[in-house]
Amino acid sequence: MKKMMMLLMASVLFLAACSGSDSADGGGGSEQDSNKVTIWAWDPNFNIAALNMAKEMYEKENPDVEIEIVENAQADIVQKLNTGLSSGTSKGLPSIVLIEDYRAQSFLQAYPDAFHDMSDSFNVDDFAEYKIAPTSFDGKQYGLPFDSGVTGLYVRTDYLEEAGYTLEDLQGIDWNEYIEIGKKVKEATGKDMITLDPNDLGLIRLMIQTAGAWYMEEDGVTPALAGNEALKQAFEAYKGMMDADIVKPNSDWSQFVANFNSGDVASVPTGNWITPSVKAEASQSGKWAVAPIPKLSVEGAVNASNLGGSSWYVLNGDSSEAAADFLGKTFGSNADLYQQLVTEIGAIGTYKPASGGEAYEKADEFFGGQKIISDFAGWTEEIQGLNYGMHTYAIEDIMIVEMQNYLNGKSIDDVLNDAQAQAEAQLK
Amino acid sequence: MTKLKRIFMYIFLTAAAFISVFPILWMIISATNQSVDVTKGRLLPGTHFGENLTNLLQTIDLVPALMNSAKISISTTILSLLIASLAGYGFEIYKSKAKDVVFTILLLSMMIPFASLMVPLYRMFGSISQTMPAIGIDTLTSVVLPTVTTAFLIFFFRQSTKMFPKELVEAGRIDGLSEIGVFFRIYVPTMKTTYAAAAIITFMASWNNYLWPLVVLQSPEKMTIPLLISNLGSSYSPDYGVIMMAIVIATLPTAIVFFLMQKHFVAGMMGSVK
Repeated sequence: MKKMMMLLMASVLFLAACSGSDSADGGGGSEQDSNKVTIWAWDPNFNIAALNMAKEMYEKENPDVEIEIVENAQADIVQKLNTGLSSGTSKGLPSIVLIEDYRAQSFLQAYPDAFHDMSDSFNVDDFAEYKIAPTSFDGKQYGLPFDSGVTGLYVRTDYLEEAGYTLEDLQGIDWNEYIEIGKKVKEATGKDMITLDPNDLGLIRLMIQTAGAWYMEEDGVTPALAGNEALKQAFEAYKGMMDADIVKPNSDWSQFVANFNSGDVASVPTGNWITPSVKAEASQSGKWAVAPIPKLSVEGAVNASNLGGSSWYVLNGDSSEAAADFLGKTFGSNADLYQQLVTEIGAIGTYKPASGGEAYEKADEFFGGQKIISDFAGWTEEIQGLNYGMHTYAIEDIMIVEMQNYLNGKSIDDVLNDAQAQAEAQLK
Repeated sequence: MTKLKRIFMYIFLTAAAFISVFPILWMIISATNQSVDVTKGRLLPGTHFGENLTNLLQTIDLVPALMNSAKISISTTILSLLIASLAGYGFEIYKSKAKDVVFTILLLSMMIPFASLMVPLYRMFGSISQTMPAIGIDTLTSVVLPTVTTAFLIFFFRQSTKMFPKELVEAGRIDGLSEIGVFFRIYVPTMKTTYAAAAIITFMASWNNYLWPLVVLQSPEKMTIPLLISNLGSSYSPDYGVIMMAIVIATLPTAIVFFLMQKHFVAGMMGSVK
């Protein structure tokens, strides 16, 4: 009896102690303070590192503003933001949050009152045009564009040479030519041309953006799958790769990375953010190069596309003025910051005035002396802008299933019509 | 024939044991390897144990997070054992017409997924924060309170109490013990193994709890271990060696708790009173 009572008392005291220290340090309950800016972002080596640089620069000139950077996984941020915003309590939400461009519209359209209008905090024309549509809503600019998801075709030049090609042969090609080259590479080296995860249609997304097309109409809510010429071609190219037997399948991110680290695939068409993972295998230094991304053979398609990429958003609250000022003075207008981002963490921004600088012109020995940053920056400006709309990932879930049906022999028109019908039913 | 049967049984059991142990083995091996080797699926122990550990300690605040997890799990376990066992005992020992109705409602609440309770719960803690910030959003207490007892645990204690001899209760009453005295002096000591089993289940669930702490905890210094591990994995270029190291460390406490109470756990699952 005594023992149990002691235990009970101990646990109550223990709880009290926990909560006591909570109120003492007051870490969380500080939103009344208009000079404290809390920021949520993911990836310590990339976004968080970039924030730390911006913080250092800003605090030098604005010592009275306190900036707290909180690291959360991207999926976790989405979860927390959805719970917080839909419960209607602003308590606990940050002043600034990083949101992936594909998801931005779903937040902006669902909670338009929660976000701070950034139109006056920076000059929209300074940023790559393709970033503007996903980050604005109803004529107002809510997001401050951050990293470029500009894509490139990372390719093993040694495998290419064995198959009788040079990097020159990969300039300005379309996906059909890519498949042809892939076949030759496989013949000569036995290596697959590409690695794909059947549950991630990132490749389809980057393919259709070369043609300026998307899963949705420009209004961002109506599915545009049936009769979408770009999508049709992208599906055909995907199947073409499968049929040509030049694909090494992977089932998750770590296998994806392993497939090119181990030298099993000859090329990786993806976003520039993969550079650190490619360079992680130091023994392959000098064997890689980056070519422009192949395009679809649709009229108006360009050899430039985007995959991923995020932007900063300010949430309405006591500290939103300070937060907007912080973003405007750092990521919104500081060309030096962008130079530093490139040199120190390899992050390519979408701030146009920065792209002429010295850091962008540096040759990278890992990529055979290619000035990859400058190439990526050039491609960034060519990317076709489009509104990703609200339901990118919901539609992608439908497409993943339909892609399997297509690979199993269903006709392309049926596939897209069925996907359209499902999307319309689901997103009503 | 029986010998042949035995051989097949051992082959089967070895295979089953290998399948369940392999992931743990691979996790420990990977904690000693570089990220590149982990993704390539290297199965041999490497030499990067120290390096992964130093990197881990540099990238995240491991010790405070372990402390947070420990505070939450220990208080949740103590409180929920006390509350759930009192409830389970009451449901079984005392007679009331309403109790079966109440119990059915309680069991039905097990069917509601937590995800659907999350937004209302968050709202609730949002308004609690207005008046009592010490137990509102972004405090360790707010993680403990909603999980402080579960319908499952009450059910578990009620089922175990079914085997508890009611004569003991009556004997206690005749000897002059109060109702609370009967519970603490007779019931609790008799049901030790049930408590051990329940403690393991609750501690593990609380230690690994992810969704609610994720939503309700905001400041970095209050994060629990699963949240930090989730952060490690979200990078564009994750270091798998470091992640595996973090998972090994996060697994240790539950493993220790389990092995300490393993004997009681098995007995508790079978029922305390034979």
